[in-house]
Amino acid sequence: MVRTMMFRFDFFLWSAVELAWMSVNVLLVEVIYRHTDSLAGWNKYEMLLLVGTSMLIQRLLMGFFWSNLFEMGRNVRTGAFDFYLAQPGNPLFMVSTRKLDPDGLANSVVAAAVVYYAAHRLGLHPGVSGVLLYMALLACGLVIHYSLFLLTTSLTFWIIKTEGIEGSYFTVVDFSRLPREAFHGFANVLMVYLLPAVIVSNVPAITLIRGFRPVYALWLGAASVAWLSLAVFVFNRGLKRYASASS
Amino acid sequence: MQALTKYRHVFLVGLQSNLVYRWNFLIRGFFSLARLAVVFILWGAAYAGVAQIGGYSIGQTFTYFTALIALQFMIGAFNEDYQIGEEIRNGLINQFLLKPINYYLYRFTVFLAARVVSGALVFVPLVVIFPLLRSHLTLPGELWRPLLLVPALLLAALLQFTLAFCFGLLAFWFLEIQGFVILSFAAETLLSGQIFPLDLLPPSLFHFAQLLPFYYMMYFPAAILTGRIDLPAALHGFVAQAGWVLLFAIAARFIWLSGLRKHTAVGG
Repeated sequence: MVRTMMFRFDFFLWSAVELAWMSVNVLLVEVIYRHTDSLAGWNKYEMLLLVGTSMLIQRLLMGFFWSNLFEMGRNVRTGAFDFYLAQPGNPLFMVSTRKLDPDGLANSVVAAAVVYYAAHRLGLHPGVSGVLLYMALLACGLVIHYSLFLLTTSLTFWIIKTEGIEGSYFTVVDFSRLPREAFHGFANVLMVYLLPAVIVSNVPAITLIRGFRPVYALWLGAASVAWLSLAVFVFNRGLKRYASASS
Repeated sequence: MQALTKYRHVFLVGLQSNLVYRWNFLIRGFFSLARLAVVFILWGAAYAGVAQIGGYSIGQTFTYFTALIALQFMIGAFNEDYQIGEEIRNGLINQFLLKPINYYLYRFTVFLAARVVSGALVFVPLVVIFPLLRSHLTLPGELWRPLLLVPALLLAALLQFTLAFCFGLLAFWFLEIQGFVILSFAAETLLSGQIFPLDLLPPSLFHFAQLLPFYYMMYFPAAILTGRIDLPAALHGFVAQAGWVLLFAIAARFIWLSGLRKHTAVGG
C-alpha cells in the first residue's frame, strides 16, 4: 500500500483509466436502452446492476490478486519464482497475497456505487440479510475469477511464453456482462454451463433483484468450489514441474 | 528516388520482423472472435422484439461489428506508442538521430508493414467462421463505398499512427506512458465507435463525436463500408478527416522537436 502511494500521480492516472472503462460500459447500457426497453427480459436498471456486479467482481480481483498472479507468470518465466518457494508457507498463498492494489480497491468502490445506484432506481430494499447474501455470492464470484485467472497464469509452468494468455481470462469475463437469458444453443452450453463466465455475475445480480433462489446460490457455490479445486490442482501440478525443471 | 528505396528496405525489414509475431496476431484474431460473439449475443438480445435499432437491421449491425474487427487489424495502432516510448527510454532513438532518416516516416513505414501482416492474418479467423457469419452479413451494393473506403482507411491509419506516435513521444517527459496510452485508448475505443455504432448516440452527442478526431479513426471508414453514411456526408467527412491528419502531423512535429530539445538537454 505504502509502496504504491509513493506513485500518487500514477494512482490517479490509473484510477482515471479504470473510471473511463467503467463509464464506457455504463454508456453502452445507456445507449442500448435508448432503442429498446428490455434485453432478454432485463430492464435498464437491472442490466446496469448486472454490469455493475460484473465490474465489481473484476475490480475486487484486480485489487487483491491481479498484479500478484500476473507477476507470478513473469517470475516463473524468469526464475525469480524461486524466491517464493524458499519462503516458509504455502506457495500459492504467498504468491497470491503479496500486495494489494489500491487502484483496484478504489475502483471497486465505484463499481459498488453503480450497483447501489441501480438498486436504488429499481426500488430494491434487500435488508441486511439480502446484502449479506449478495456479498457472499460476490465472494463466490471472486473465487471463480481468481481460479480462472490462476488457471491461465499457471499455464506458464508448461508454456513459458504466455504473454497475452491473460487475454483468455478477459475473454471469458467479457461474457459475464450479459444476461443469462440472452444465451442460446452452443453459447448457452459453453458459457453458462461449462464455463462459469455467466453465472458469476448473473447469480448475485438476480438474487439481489428477484430474491433468494437456493438452486442458483448452490450452483454458484458448487461452481466456485469446483473451479478453485481445479485451479489449485493445476497450480500444484505446475509447481512440481517447475521444481523439476529448474533443478 | 533514393529516399523511396530507403523506406522500401525499412518496409521489408518491418514485414519480416512482424512475421515473427504471426502467432500473436493470429491468437489475437481468434480472441476477437470471442468478442464478436459477445457482441452478437448482446445485440441479438437487444433486437429481440424490435425490427430496427437506429434505423438499421440486426444484419447491418452485425456487419458493422464484423467489419470493425477486420479494420482494427488493418489500420489500428496496437503498441506503436509503447515501442516508440521504449526506444526513447533506452536510448535507441539516438541512432536514428545520427542517420539520414526521418524517424516519423521510419516508424510509419514499420507500422504499415505490421498492418499488412496483421491485416492479412485477421482474415484467417474470419474465413474460418465465415460459414456461420455469412447469413448475418449484409453489405450495401453501391460502388462508391469500396472506392472511398481505400482513402478513408489510409487517412484513418495515418491518424491512428500519428496519435500513437505523439503518445510515444511523451516518453521524453514521463518515465511511464502506459497510463496515458490506455486512457486515450479508452476514449478512442468509445468515440471511434468500437463499443457501439456512434449513430445510436443521442443526436447532440453524435454531433459532438463527429467534431472529435476519434470519429475519423475507425467509425468513418466502417460507416462508409457498412452503409451507415451517405455519399455527401462521406465526402464532407473526408475534408474533416484530412484536416485532422494535417493537424496531427503538425502536433507530432512540434512534440518531436521540443522533445528532442529536452532529450539533448539531458544527454548533453
